[in-house]
Amino acid sequence: MARMKFLCDAERCIECNSCVTACKNEHEVPWGVNRRRVVTLNDGVPGEKSISVACMHCTDAPCAAVCPVDCFYTTDDGIVLHDKDLCIGCGYCFYACPFGAPQYPQQSAFGVRGKMDKCTFCAGGPLADNSNKEYEKYGRNRIAEGKLPLCAEMCSTKALLAGDGDMIADIYRQRVLKRGGRPQTWGWESAYGASG
Amino acid sequence: MKTLVSTMAGLTLLFLGGCYESPNVTTYEPGVYKGPKDPLMMGKADQRAETLKKRFELVQMDR
Amino acid sequence: MKLIKKRGAEGISTAFGLGEAIDRRAFLRRSGVALGGAAVAGVLPAGMIRRAEAKGASPQEGVETELRRSVCTHCSVGCGVVAEVQNGVWTGQEPDFESPFNLGSHCAKGASVREHGIGEHRLKYPMKLTGGKWKKISWDEAINEIGDQVLKIRKESGPDSVYWLGSAKHNNEQSYLFRKMAAMWGTNNVDHQARICHSTTVAGVANTWGYGAMTNSYNDMHNCKAMLFIGSNAAEAHPVAMQHILRAKENGAKMIVCDPRFTRTAAHADHFVRFRPGTDVALMWGMLWHIFENGWEDTVYVRQRVWGMDQIREEVKKWTPEETERVTGTPPDVVKKAAQIMAENRPGTIVWCMGGTQHTIGNNNTRSYCVFQLALGNIGKSGGGANIFRGHDNVQGATDLGVLSHTLPGYYGLSAGSWNHWSKVWGLDPEWVKSRFAQDQVEGDKGKPVQPMNYKGIPVSRWIDGVLEDPKNMGQKDRVRAIFLWGHAVNSQTRGPEMKKAMEMMDLMVIVDPYPTHAAVMNDRKEGTYLLPASTQFETYGSVTASNRSIQWRDKLIDPVWESLPDHVIMYKLAKKLGFAEQFFKNIQVNGEEPLIEDVTREINRGMWTIGYTGQSPERLKLHAENRKTFNTTTLKAEGGPADGDYYGMPWPSWGPPEMKHPGTPVLYDPSKPVAEGGLTFRARFGVERDGENLLAEASYSVGSEIKDGYPEFTADMLKQLGWWDDLTPEEKQLAEGKNWKTDLSGGIQRVAIKHGCAPFGNAKARTVVWTFPDPVPIHREPLYTPRRDLVTDYPTYEDRKRFYRLPTRYASIQVQDFSKDYPIVWTSGRLVEYEGGGEEQRSNPWLAELQQDMFVEINPTDANNIGIRDGQMVWVDSPEGAKIKVKAMVTRRVAPGVVFTPFHFGGWFQGQDLVAKYPPGTAPLVRGEACNTAMTYGYDSVTQMQETKVTLCQIRPA
Repeated sequence: MARMKFLCDAERCIECNSCVTACKNEHEVPWGVNRRRVVTLNDGVPGEKSISVACMHCTDAPCAAVCPVDCFYTTDDGIVLHDKDLCIGCGYCFYACPFGAPQYPQQSAFGVRGKMDKCTFCAGGPLADNSNKEYEKYGRNRIAEGKLPLCAEMCSTKALLAGDGDMIADIYRQRVLKRGGRPQTWGWESAYGASG
Repeated sequence: MKTLVSTMAGLTLLFLGGCYESPNVTTYEPGVYKGPKDPLMMGKADQRAETLKKRFELVQMDR
Repeated sequence: MKLIKKRGAEGISTAFGLGEAIDRRAFLRRSGVALGGAAVAGVLPAGMIRRAEAKGASPQEGVETELRRSVCTHCSVGCGVVAEVQNGVWTGQEPDFESPFNLGSHCAKGASVREHGIGEHRLKYPMKLTGGKWKKISWDEAINEIGDQVLKIRKESGPDSVYWLGSAKHNNEQSYLFRKMAAMWGTNNVDHQARICHSTTVAGVANTWGYGAMTNSYNDMHNCKAMLFIGSNAAEAHPVAMQHILRAKENGAKMIVCDPRFTRTAAHADHFVRFRPGTDVALMWGMLWHIFENGWEDTVYVRQRVWGMDQIREEVKKWTPEETERVTGTPPDVVKKAAQIMAENRPGTIVWCMGGTQHTIGNNNTRSYCVFQLALGNIGKSGGGANIFRGHDNVQGATDLGVLSHTLPGYYGLSAGSWNHWSKVWGLDPEWVKSRFAQDQVEGDKGKPVQPMNYKGIPVSRWIDGVLEDPKNMGQKDRVRAIFLWGHAVNSQTRGPEMKKAMEMMDLMVIVDPYPTHAAVMNDRKEGTYLLPASTQFETYGSVTASNRSIQWRDKLIDPVWESLPDHVIMYKLAKKLGFAEQFFKNIQVNGEEPLIEDVTREINRGMWTIGYTGQSPERLKLHAENRKTFNTTTLKAEGGPADGDYYGMPWPSWGPPEMKHPGTPVLYDPSKPVAEGGLTFRARFGVERDGENLLAEASYSVGSEIKDGYPEFTADMLKQLGWWDDLTPEEKQLAEGKNWKTDLSGGIQRVAIKHGCAPFGNAKARTVVWTFPDPVPIHREPLYTPRRDLVTDYPTYEDRKRFYRLPTRYASIQVQDFSKDYPIVWTSGRLVEYEGGGEEQRSNPWLAELQQDMFVEINPTDANNIGIRDGQMVWVDSPEGAKIKVKAMVTRRVAPGVVFTPFHFGGWFQGQDLVAKYPPGTAPLVRGEACNTAMTYGYDSVTQMQETKVTLCQIRPA
């Protein structure tokens, strides 16, 4: 069975933030909530590298392990989602997440977008696919439409890949082989285990 | 005393009844998701995988 | 006890994301508070909430979704945009993976263009400033009042006292109409952004080998073996281009970045060359020194296709590694390594942008890049070329269509012959066109009398001097008294305090834009400013030219939002009021008040013979848009399908009339293909002989050419001499008699030349020495404001000029003053990925604005410590001309000690003051900040009047 994963190729990422605005646009994510962001290491000096980060949809998701109300579930495609009605916004998942993915909208008026909000791999939540209610609470459900996360689909350099884990691993391996460098699969191990 | 207890219980029920629209109480079972089932968990992932694979080739591959 | 929530108990109806206007605004207000005071101005009056009943712009379940296609309106890559539209509302964006340019990709800007269709911060209806307050007025009132005032000015001061500032945001048809409108009004005081972005490129490159445009394409970079970037930060300015660039790198290409700043592009380079701002010529000659020293030049290529290289050799001899280091500050081994990489990895390309163009010697810089590539034999080759990345989405098109003060569409110039050509295309009596202009001769740039009609107008970089200068010193009757700022960000021009003064001196300011812009708020005018809401390109349709010369067709995505109108509709309204609509649209159908775009395209096709905008009919352009998936992503050639054999968007020149089906020219000057299939030679533009030397190509010609040597440009007489005259049809003969390839409206001369395998514009050598320019051989000259007083003697700037584009222009009288003691820091500027140009659109878009909330200055830790400032602290940047801006300090090693950098996209502040209260209610951008150009200084290129914004001086102090 296909297992959905994200991979960001640091050799290609140029910190253009298209993944961030694509996400904002697709799900109308409010100001101050960042389901995805770009992190730059060694900013402004040789060795500068950027990586786009969001929920990695871990195989053994630490967020789910610590959640006191068990609001997390994993879809058949390996996407980690949560039920915002069960969630109490306690913040445990934020401490557990190695990627800082969970977001907590500060304004209560954001209502249904809180308590906790995070990347859904564009797969919505536990409501009827692409219903108005699902959109309002979780954003768009591209997976149900047979499409992949918009951040990756719109990535300016095809640095960010999202899809079947085997396929993206193959592409990445080919690129590394071509470049003759060492693979730098940032976050890959902690999200999907040593076997990748 | 018995009456008091039952009245209390009755009141509590009433109180809780005012709180819940649905009488289906979710009981706690550690580590198990008890929310509504996502349509993406209804076992059509294999079928979907094919569609998503094609989509990946179309959109995310260098060509 | 398990804590659970009942489903449906929460007030979903108040949710953000449902998109009722009120909730979005409430959200934005809160964002403003969270931003720390950068609040959204005011609350809209109830009447303005247009979409309240339309349930916002969020997708709705059970509503049919239509996919429509356009092209991104930000940079020049030309990324396809696919919109999901429900009931006329733009509800989503999808990747346009069929586009061979972007393959579905976008940058931050392209991925958020849907916000244009929501447009909460857009200018919503015409407004005028009266008693210092903005008042809503109707379109009719606006056009009538504006029209009456400009007609009055025309009567009193002549047509040259109205300035028409157009835009690289027009589509091709609107650009063409804008230039034509200025002609119908009777002035050459018309210009647009190209003047201040790539005018020195166009002038330098066209005068070297024929055409002033990118020679290859982003896609062709897949074939590069080496790529040298100088003054280009593609990762921020052309992010999707980086997809092609990084693919080339994966294919083994070496990447060199030369820049004063360690840019995000430099972070991906194999070799980084840091040099002092304003020393491009020195660096290029320093590299060329190694090429010549080691015999790495392509001698056969130079002999066959290049003229004047010996004179270059003489100049380059001076640029020893020591002298190069003394001027540029770059160590000899770093320079040598760059030269060696380029020599050993051919074909290699050079990429440049505004880092090279915006200098007093911008035209020298661009020519030095060309010469470097010619020496290596890299021009006219796939994988080589001069890949000059243009800035705006249609700056190439607007340049081609002549929204410029020195030429008519198609680079025809302003001579009597050019006016005759275009009058004929317009179907108008040349005498009538002439009658529209001021009739009294004035003293021209060369001190001789000229007719205003044939005299280049004031460029956009200097319009403020057109207002401030004493008319006695100007090449026109009176000063500029009214200006149309039509899609132009004034914060992209220098000398803020003087600009403010100029604005306050004018009778009338008309801002035509989707946003009020910095121009509406930076001055203290109380009366006579009009704001007219223009639609974006997503609310209309037409063609747009990408940087690689490909022309793409945009469909209309949604109807104009609020009361905005497309530019061509506004032009029609204005022309009607001003009394020349009939002549203006003589051959163009007008439906209601909307000129038919396709008719405009066809008129363009009928007139633009010089650069081959003649083959791209609306029908062919639409065919390409529909079948874009059939084009190869490296060659851009259609493989099968209805457009089989064409290159995507028929990159100009696409010779002859559309019926000739020329496929377009993917790589300029590439003789490895027949001209009929997109091959080309260097253009014979500069005569056939110079100093007794042959200027035509020698033993070099394009595949299939029946003339196996160089030849001049084609004329009717030349066809007769060659015995090819009878290849023309009788009808063609009639029109072609006495004409040349540029003026023959039948296209017959071009057709016959191409039939015999020849390029209509001739086959010549590229020239490395432009004898008509102030510096025939490109040389280094120190910037006007330089800290290197020791170099001013060796490399002085030009003498002041009495009249240049109608205005006195200063050089030496500024450079002679030493400001370096009080203003010791070199200051340069550039782009951020989230914003573009003046930034109004993007700073008003919450998805982008959130990512860059503060105007800042990058400063090296050494300077920060010396001055005593911390990261994140507010500082003043003082200019030697007395202006100052208040910005946040960003302490970073990205810049070298002694150099600071600011982005140029901010506006809405002026010398320390937030102008939020001066915007019409609800239209202030979410993010405002100082325009860096407020404090940028005087300085203009010696050929084009490009402003010198890439190097000046400043001082920094804590605020």
